[in-house]
Amino acid sequence: MDLSRREFTKFGCRIIIGAAAGATIVESIATLGVAQEESSNKEYDWNEHLWGYVVDTRKCIGCGRCANACKLENEVPFDEPVYRTWIERYRIVREGTEESVKIDSPDGGIKGFAEDIPAEEIKKAFYVPKICNHCDNPPCVQVCPVGATYKTEDGVILVDYNYCIGCRYCIQGCPYGARYFNNEKRTADKCTWCYHRITKGLLPACVQACPVGARKFGDLKDPESEINKILDKERINVLKADLGTKPKVYYVGLDREVR
Amino acid sequence: MQPHLKRAFIILVLVIIGFLFVRSFIVPESFGQYGWYRGDSVAELRDIPVGYAGSASCSGINNECHKTTYSIWVDSRHKTVNCETCHGPSEKHVIDTRVMPEPANDTREFCGLCHFKRAARPADFPQIDPETHGENLKCAYCHNPHKPWFL
Repeated sequence: MDLSRREFTKFGCRIIIGAAAGATIVESIATLGVAQEESSNKEYDWNEHLWGYVVDTRKCIGCGRCANACKLENEVPFDEPVYRTWIERYRIVREGTEESVKIDSPDGGIKGFAEDIPAEEIKKAFYVPKICNHCDNPPCVQVCPVGATYKTEDGVILVDYNYCIGCRYCIQGCPYGARYFNNEKRTADKCTWCYHRITKGLLPACVQACPVGARKFGDLKDPESEINKILDKERINVLKADLGTKPKVYYVGLDREVR
Repeated sequence: MQPHLKRAFIILVLVIIGFLFVRSFIVPESFGQYGWYRGDSVAELRDIPVGYAGSASCSGINNECHKTTYSIWVDSRHKTVNCETCHGPSEKHVIDTRVMPEPANDTREFCGLCHFKRAARPADFPQIDPETHGENLKCAYCHNPHKPWFL
């Protein structure tokens, strides 16, 4: 057998790639059957649900109880400036003949908003609650180098805290700034739509805490669900639709200034 | 086959076997169960204990717990405000009534988070000017938080 160096390298590479591909196929075949069996045994079947979220910005009063409840429910470091959900205040302020947009979110809105601009100068003001959009096409999942963040079958983006290496790439990848670095866990962290609650039939903590019903949560696969009725009736928008991330947080009454 | 090629092939095969052997230890068993992630982590995230029990649990299973307060609240204009929005997460108290949640915050500032006059609030939402209303008294001095005045 007379091989040149190039042929030898080619042949070797083929063997390695072939073996790796073969091992992956064998593995996936072996685990596929197991996965289907297990998911049918559990009482919560994630194939029956596709969760969605509606925010009515016209109702929000900016009390910050959602952000507060979220921090307590999910053990988000309370005194650090990190939030799974937060409220932004948009104020369109007259400055002579010009107008400017002032956006702030002191402490995520948890401690309320001080009135630091005289009411006469404010042309228009409103609150916008923000939360992870649980995109159908999530950029954060694409960039994870180790497979520590993923989209579940019921449409929720989760982080595997035992597998995350804390490289923060997903935090950079999220166009909505919805992810943060958890200094206690030393991993990336984010809103889970309270996955431990919704799989038990409860509402996410922020939705339950909202005193005015500005936040609604429900099943997009259930035609009778409250959020499907809102989506059928109201004029809906999503944040940064042009990015093609396909968010599942739908906004009612969103102003054009909101980014 | 030339001996140096034979040696190279043997080393190659050993490297591949070694790679697969080491990989089988490093990669968690449930990785790839549902997709490119550790399948067990879904169950781990689902099993996190709940903190907020929900208002329905405050009246008790047979309406034997906070009966009076609950019946007042459920007819009031504050019925959209969940008990735990003011009283704090209380799942531990529901499981064991000896574990008391922190007392509700009854300061002016806490009520003001919703009811102080703010330009960004919807105009039809009940708001007061803290400078002119209430002489710096606690709101609960005049208003019952479980059944506020005016409606």
